[in-house]
Amino acid sequence: MSKQLQFKSLLEMPEIAVSVGSMDWNKTGAWRTQQPFYEDKTPPCSAACPAGNDIVSFIQEISKENYEGAWRLIKEENPFPAICGRVCFHPCELKCNRGSFDEPIAIHALERFVADFAAGQRKKIERTTEKGRERIAIIGSGPAGMSCAFHLAKLHYRVTVFESFSLAGGVLRFGIPSYRLSKDVLDQELSDIEALGVEIRRGISLSNPLRIEDLKDFQAIFIATGAHQSRGLSIPGEKGRGVYRGLDFLKKINLKARVKLGEKIAVIGGGNTAVDVARSVVRLGKKATILYRRSKEEMPAFEEEITEALEEGVKIRYLVNPIHIHQKDGLKRLECLRMALGEKDESGRRRPVPIPNSNFFLEVENVIIAAGEDIEFSYLPKGMERREGIVLTQRDGSTGIKGVFAGGDLTSNQRTVAHAIGSGKKAAMAIDCHLRGKDSEEAIRQVLIGEGPSLSIFRYLHPDERPMNSHVVAFEELNTDYFELAKRKRESKRSVKERVKGFKEMTSTLGEDSASEEAKRCFSCGTCNECENCYVFCPDGSVLKGAGFSHQVDYDFCKGCGICFTECPRGAISLREEAR
Amino acid sequence: MSSGGNLSKGGGEMKKVITGNQAVAYGVILSRVDVVSAYPITPQTTIVEELSELIASGRLKTIFLKVESEHSALAALTGASTGGVRCFTATSSHGLAYMHEMLHWACGARLPIVMVNVNRAIGPPWNIWNDQSDSLSQRDTGWIQLYCENNQEVLDTILQAYRIAEEVRLPVMVVLDAFVLSHTSEAVEIPSIEEVDSFLPPYCPDDFIDPQEPKAFSVIATPDYFMEFRFKVQRAMERVPEVAQKVNDEFKAHFGRGYGAIERYGREDAEVLLMTSGTVTGTSRMVIQGMLKKGCPVGGVKIKHFRPFPSKEIHETIKGVKKIAIIDRSLSPGVGGIFAQELRAVLYPHEEKPQVFGFISGLGGRDITPNLIEEAVQYTMDHDRPQEEILWLGLKK
Repeated sequence: MSKQLQFKSLLEMPEIAVSVGSMDWNKTGAWRTQQPFYEDKTPPCSAACPAGNDIVSFIQEISKENYEGAWRLIKEENPFPAICGRVCFHPCELKCNRGSFDEPIAIHALERFVADFAAGQRKKIERTTEKGRERIAIIGSGPAGMSCAFHLAKLHYRVTVFESFSLAGGVLRFGIPSYRLSKDVLDQELSDIEALGVEIRRGISLSNPLRIEDLKDFQAIFIATGAHQSRGLSIPGEKGRGVYRGLDFLKKINLKARVKLGEKIAVIGGGNTAVDVARSVVRLGKKATILYRRSKEEMPAFEEEITEALEEGVKIRYLVNPIHIHQKDGLKRLECLRMALGEKDESGRRRPVPIPNSNFFLEVENVIIAAGEDIEFSYLPKGMERREGIVLTQRDGSTGIKGVFAGGDLTSNQRTVAHAIGSGKKAAMAIDCHLRGKDSEEAIRQVLIGEGPSLSIFRYLHPDERPMNSHVVAFEELNTDYFELAKRKRESKRSVKERVKGFKEMTSTLGEDSASEEAKRCFSCGTCNECENCYVFCPDGSVLKGAGFSHQVDYDFCKGCGICFTECPRGAISLREEAR
Repeated sequence: MSSGGNLSKGGGEMKKVITGNQAVAYGVILSRVDVVSAYPITPQTTIVEELSELIASGRLKTIFLKVESEHSALAALTGASTGGVRCFTATSSHGLAYMHEMLHWACGARLPIVMVNVNRAIGPPWNIWNDQSDSLSQRDTGWIQLYCENNQEVLDTILQAYRIAEEVRLPVMVVLDAFVLSHTSEAVEIPSIEEVDSFLPPYCPDDFIDPQEPKAFSVIATPDYFMEFRFKVQRAMERVPEVAQKVNDEFKAHFGRGYGAIERYGREDAEVLLMTSGTVTGTSRMVIQGMLKKGCPVGGVKIKHFRPFPSKEIHETIKGVKKIAIIDRSLSPGVGGIFAQELRAVLYPHEEKPQVFGFISGLGGRDITPNLIEEAVQYTMDHDRPQEEILWLGLKK
């Protein structure tokens, strides 16, 4: 209890009300009704990253100029930072809280910066020296397959990747034009995975359909053969000469094969493949017109790609649907119908409805159909269920066949590189659970980022490190008084004139200064970055800093006023009611 | 301790034509103040500008704390002052009102902070001009209040204020009139820093926050002890007249000038006395001189100390005086002039009480002209007792 002073006379009393000694005995923490505590929460960027990158952590490392550390943090979750930094559609940036303040962080540019930095320093993820565990077969060397291979190798499995084509990379190699992703970058990141001991057997054709018995030396199989059968339009003339399929066309371009093209090319479709095709056509010195049956709002291609395509001279005609490809002396007469938008369909987009008697003709020399891709089911082993055009799996990627898992475009309609990487990672975890006799559903539930579906394999491997509440920090939870407006750093793009000359990468990597400045714009939502606000504001001096920890609350004296909670700019401090 | 800013060294006094607010800044610089915290408000702003510019330029090694309000300005200084350093702030009108809570704190914690208040009316109606209502309505917060007549007195009073404050451990408010002093230039003798150093030693308190020896300041005092702490405040206030006189004597020895708690002028055998404070005194001196020439038995009293109220000095000076005209540049609604009220209370125990004629004039910056002052003195001479408790001077009919 308090040691209250006793004075006998006025003279004995001091001039001011001051204690005669330290007040340490007075444990004011006993007055507390609510308790602040440090608790990292989930930033919206990571929760939105299909590949499960720990975005805030790696950006914080950049701001400390520890670029290699940043690269290693990405590599914990994702073997392809250089690729994602270039081609990912960065849903993280759409969810970035800074977007509600001024402009979102250029996360993709920072990811690319650290990847290129590490490549420049010839950094490699070290190969494990531990004796290999079971053997795993992976069918397909695209982003899903190689992501799975990478994580399994880090989990000490002996991994063999079977690739029917003579070069590895799958859709990364033949589906993405070089002006978006140079082949050197792809080769670099693939060779990093091989350096971990992953064997890629190129040009290997397994039985068709695949027989599981042929792979009996492997204790688990992951099938990620992708979706690369270009969808047809089912219109007369589409099988004619000079009519190509989008993915086939891109594959030829990517393999530097000659494609016979006239001057005027019609590209049919509104997705990213259609835009890639049109922009490639322009780079071959020809004129490309995209025909899309709905309007601009419904177009599934990424906005930035569309903008760049238009800059480069690609024409886009909306609400146009080809119904017949007429041949005439090498020239095609493309018969089209004009469309109008009707009611919303099951995809939530307004359904295009033909306007009767609106037929018109377009004179072109080639038609390239890029109306989506389907899965080649004929190749798949018996016993795999399918529904609505995709292979049906459990949440962990397991199929109806024991020990056989599937992922990537094969199992999802969200066909992006990042989704494929996430899917491969999840399969690696599921395979480990399967072989180690663990409950994979539960394991996945434990490592979801936010509400999922993104997940962290780092947490699977290190359940006690970097703990994070699954609550996703909203903009309203930040204290933006501590942030100043700052312009987003942009990667420089080559001029349109330069761009259309060939297939060289069109954007360049951020410089170190720009990357560092951009990283400092990050709010670090939910993650303490030792800004010291709590330490400065605590009226009771009850925020402690010390060796071995960044900040702690001294509960002997903390009165629970909540100022630290309020002044924390990033929501890294929580309050809970004091247990009574 | 801080440097003396841009002052010439060793050159003795120099004379400069400066505004009252500049005189304040010189006073602060010469006092080697360690921490300034202030929030700008017309008509005080140029004080803060002057000091912040000097500090920003590096010529003055004082810490300037930027704050978001007057309440915070004084709160910050209570912290700094408890840390054992010399502190200064300045404000006016609404700003002073906003400090109210911290005014009590500075006194209760016995912090020798010096503040300048530039007298300005409190709205509404909105008004930025001279009026003493702001400082006088803070009379019960335990601050010593010293009113100034001219720019020289402003500078000198700041130097004296630190001596008094640090000796009795009470905060001091130095008060000057808006615009009439704050923005009006006069010739002012600026003492050399060496001379001021020899008059005003560094501040070395006994109790201050020391991280090596942590203590709790301004802790709770139970009903068993609270009253004793207030008693000690009162005792400290009671010491002020004696300390102020000693300080003023020393000041005179150093600089050849001085200011009493009150100052009597005019005829020694005056029957009618005119009491004023602030710049009205300057005008009053001229009016009284003119009336003396006409043979009127009049004199004047300048009241410099308002807190503590100089009752002893007033008792001594009113012997033989029959009537006192007192001009208030403030109004305590429902009572009248605040100086008049204080004066009546002081006179009550006096056996031969002079009649007090309480005039209210010059509110919200209206000029108190020589004619108005003469009218007040004449009225007092012409009447045995005031016909009304409040005599409004210059009020529109």
